[in-house]
Amino acid sequence: MSPETPPQVQTLACPHCGAPLTVRSMGRAVTIVCGHCHSILDAKDPQLKILQRFEAATGGESPAIPLGSRGKWRGALYEAIGFQVRSMEADGLTYSWREYLLFNPYKGFRYLTEYNGHWNDCSVTTALPEADGIGARYLGKKYKHFQTCTAHTTFVLGEFPWQVRVDDAVAVTDYVAPPYVLSSEMAGSETTWTLGEYVHGADIWKAFGLPGIAPTPMGVYENQPSALKASAGQTWFACAGLATAIFVIFTLNQLFSQQEQVFREAYSFSPSSTEASFVTPEFELKGRTSSVEVRTDADVSNQWIYLNYALIDADTGQAYDFGREVTYYTGVDSDGHWQEGSQHDRVTLPSIPPGRYYLRVEPESDASLGTIAYTVTVTRDVPVLGVYFLALAAILLPALLISWRTYNFEQMRWAQSDHPMKSVGGGE
Amino acid sequence: MIWNRLYLIYGIAVVLLLGAGAYRGWSFTSVNEVKNVPGSIRDNPGSYRAIYSSYHHYTGGK
Repeated sequence: MSPETPPQVQTLACPHCGAPLTVRSMGRAVTIVCGHCHSILDAKDPQLKILQRFEAATGGESPAIPLGSRGKWRGALYEAIGFQVRSMEADGLTYSWREYLLFNPYKGFRYLTEYNGHWNDCSVTTALPEADGIGARYLGKKYKHFQTCTAHTTFVLGEFPWQVRVDDAVAVTDYVAPPYVLSSEMAGSETTWTLGEYVHGADIWKAFGLPGIAPTPMGVYENQPSALKASAGQTWFACAGLATAIFVIFTLNQLFSQQEQVFREAYSFSPSSTEASFVTPEFELKGRTSSVEVRTDADVSNQWIYLNYALIDADTGQAYDFGREVTYYTGVDSDGHWQEGSQHDRVTLPSIPPGRYYLRVEPESDASLGTIAYTVTVTRDVPVLGVYFLALAAILLPALLISWRTYNFEQMRWAQSDHPMKSVGGGE
Repeated sequence: MIWNRLYLIYGIAVVLLLGAGAYRGWSFTSVNEVKNVPGSIRDNPGSYRAIYSSYHHYTGGK
């Protein structure tokens, strides 16, 4: 069968309304449904005995893949020969999905199912799956139980290789392992297993040459693959590697940073003095451009001292201005002993080039307070911990975001199942 | 898959940036850079006007 080869069909007439019936599955049809009067006919009976008639709602159900449409699907040419709508009820709501029966004389039958724009390509299993209600195993792959429900056939059209009836009821159990879904349909003592694979509507539209574009899927379907789930595990693996790299850089920085003290001097400040500013002797910052830590230890108690600092390059005149306050208060009240602030302060200046430097210092304090002794210490090439925390946060946040979105996707998937996940907030 | 690749590229960029920052001594401290400060400051330190001199000081305690 190829697109150029006319399909082999047989034309009959509906015994109820006389409308022409086209049989495409060449003797494999068990029932035929008249599209005109909705009579379900026994295809095995030469007289096309009427098995059932049903009333379709006005406008009825219109198959998105018109019967007789042919398209290359999974490497073979298939023709849409049957269409049925089935429904289930849950929590007082009715959910309906559509099933299209495809036929190829050499490959046999397969089905395309559609729910809210989500499509599955289904075929009967070639082996008997093992199922225990919690899960199933088929061809070495494990599937999780998703839901069990009773499905009712509500509309049929075309021909079918089984006895189809409107209002037929079957117990359907779905097991999922995205992008696959393993379904059992049990009617009486007979159980049929089908394996479905999630497919995109656009591929079906393209294969069958359908007009327009495939409807956009709504929500998350039971076996819809998550675009992020595969990435989430790999992302955390990569995150662990990157965190290790950060730790290695941190360790190397700790080991090899010189933390060289280049200046230390003790001073005293009298707030009543007329000119407080002064410059320190020169000191040299050797090596490469690096951080410089300026530490101030002030003998303050219930006092404060503020120091205007300028680190000035003696050769270029480049100055780095910054101000630091050392404040320390302590006392006793009805709550007991309290203290605020500290007698020590340290600040790390970023990326200071090597050279000869001096500090211009201008202390300030409350004029009513006494003389304050303080020490200024300058150390070059000091590790800065903050950048490591920032880097860790920078690699953790995207990984957390991907995991959160993956979790949300799975939560939406399983919300439709018999086993909804509990939300982070504790609800369902 | 593409997310994983994008994340890996992003993460490597972060690590490289961190390595450069560690080597160059980056920190979060905000300093005001002033160019061409005259050498006469050393003789007359009071003539230098630091931008932090109008800082409002904490004078509290509990």
